[in-house]
Amino acid sequence: MSTQTEQCLVELTNINKAFGGVHAVENVNLNLYPGEVVAVLGHNGAGKSTLMKMLAGAYPIDSGDVRIKGEKVHVRTPADAQRLGIESIYQTLALADNLDSVANLFLGRELLTQWNTLDDLRMDADARKVFQRLNKNFKNYHTPVRRLSGGQRQVVAISRAIYFNAQILIMDEPTAALGPEETAMVAKLIEQLKAEGVGIFLISHDMHDVFALSDRLAVMKNGKLVGTYRTQDVTEDEVLGMIILGKKPEGKPETHRPAR
Amino acid sequence: MNQVLNNLKHSAIDWRMALMALVLVVISVIFNVLSDGIFFSPENLYNIAQQTAVVGILATVMVLIIVARHIDLSVGSVMGFVGVLIAFLMYTMNWSWPAASLAGLGAAILVAMYQGALTAFIGVPSFVVTLGGLMSFRGAAYLVAQGKTQPLSDPFFLTLGGGYNGGIGTQASWIVGAVICAGILFNRLTQRRAKIRFDVPVNPFWLDTILALIPCVLVVAFVAIMNAYQIPNKPDAQGIPIPVLIWGAVAGLMGFIVRRTRFGRYIFAMGGNPDAAALVGIPVKKVTMMLFLLLAVLVTVAAIVAISRLNAGTNSLGNSLELLVIAATVIGGTALAGGSGTIVGSVLGALIMQCIDSGMLLLDVSIGTRYVVIGQVLIAAVVFDVAYRKWTGDTQ
Repeated sequence: MSTQTEQCLVELTNINKAFGGVHAVENVNLNLYPGEVVAVLGHNGAGKSTLMKMLAGAYPIDSGDVRIKGEKVHVRTPADAQRLGIESIYQTLALADNLDSVANLFLGRELLTQWNTLDDLRMDADARKVFQRLNKNFKNYHTPVRRLSGGQRQVVAISRAIYFNAQILIMDEPTAALGPEETAMVAKLIEQLKAEGVGIFLISHDMHDVFALSDRLAVMKNGKLVGTYRTQDVTEDEVLGMIILGKKPEGKPETHRPAR
Repeated sequence: MNQVLNNLKHSAIDWRMALMALVLVVISVIFNVLSDGIFFSPENLYNIAQQTAVVGILATVMVLIIVARHIDLSVGSVMGFVGVLIAFLMYTMNWSWPAASLAGLGAAILVAMYQGALTAFIGVPSFVVTLGGLMSFRGAAYLVAQGKTQPLSDPFFLTLGGGYNGGIGTQASWIVGAVICAGILFNRLTQRRAKIRFDVPVNPFWLDTILALIPCVLVVAFVAIMNAYQIPNKPDAQGIPIPVLIWGAVAGLMGFIVRRTRFGRYIFAMGGNPDAAALVGIPVKKVTMMLFLLLAVLVTVAAIVAISRLNAGTNSLGNSLELLVIAATVIGGTALAGGSGTIVGSVLGALIMQCIDSGMLLLDVSIGTRYVVIGQVLIAAVVFDVAYRKWTGDTQ
């Protein structure tokens, strides 16, 4: 019952976004509680990535409210989002391919010395710890990330969220480019972060991931929210029905509460 | 022996840079043989160093512009405009040189704000903005003094471009050389210590020693050569020419910006992946704008050196200079696709180009042939760049 009184981590209310005449996101309501994974599903172009990018500050919101821990906030830039504890792992990973993994981990938030110059050594030392925690075999600290494997690149992208203590994590197809071992690493990491009280939005096309990792799922179609359900309440076929036809499963309760 | 080879392979030596330095040496030796030893005479080397300064100064900042996936085709014209303006204010308006130079800087900053805002905030490709600037500011250079040449006579100002009184003398040259060497050694030593403190793997001591001594030897050799040049009827030897000193200071500052500041890192990140740079919260527009302002400062410095070298400001100052600057940058290993390039590379690139040009001049090669050769050298540099990247797997 304690979940009833638990404070909502993120509350998105009546969010709208249009690109030219196209409504990419229309009146979407979605929330996220601490220690919870909410999967956001939908076709390509359903608006899920746009919605998440608005929360991450990459796109401005046309109208609607964002509340973080009950407080109304304005997320206008990625830096705003970072200050609010929102970290994103993009499908494209958002890595500068010509820079090494240490520089990428700290990109945009470099550690500085007292003379305002880059503190490479401290960044180097800190980065080693984070990378080691994610992958014991990670050794390529000073090669440009374009030469790293898909899994290693993912480690670099994820390390940002870990190092900067994300409270709200947006993961866009985190396992799309990964092998089985690395997928297992991401799953383990998600469990670990949940236990620490981090709230996670998980965008995924992989039904197995969704059912294995998420507590709730929200389905979008044509920019609108079809519905939000407890993952354990619905079947894969019902989810596919929502994604493809926009059809709500009959007799299943929608919920805006965490699953536990 | 294997151990040694392994060390060399894994040390942070930039092999590409080493190869370029080798190319420079080979070219010079060939010219020296062909010119019966005139090429390596102190007088010739002094002149080459001095002549390269203007292109060299601009090439250091062009590296950053190209790394950030922009280009500036208007550097030559803007430099001409600023140069004529400074000379006009001094000669026709009787301003003092500091006041005129500051006014020139102000004009350069206005130009940079205009071109930078169009590029950064409105999103017009810098190629187009500066292509227009190439024409417009050449015209503006004419308009400033209605095409009249503005001669300069301030004795101090004229030393900034080198020339008769433009060397700092032997004693000062040795002091500068010693300070630079001490700086290099101190820097290497503190870095090595800090690395050990933070458990970062380091090169073996002998290798770090050699890597630190190579630049020191080069500096000492350079000072010795500059000190060996004495203009006939002058009591003292020249020493380091002031424009080269300015170029060195600019290159050092730019190297610092690239390696030690956020601004430098952001420029490389924007060049490597502009989308990622924006997504992680780098203020891309602001950084682009700052880059253009930095360009304005260095264009002014280059303009001052150029008019002082010429003893006058003319409306043709810096004609087709943009091509030489971009060529030096590209020969120096900066990828036109953005994201990679080094300041040291631009210095080497400018020197390679000037050596080829001066060498051919010594050998009495006609101007037509010189243009043909330099153009093809540029292409050879890009071919090498492409091949090198394929070979090392650094394709973009």
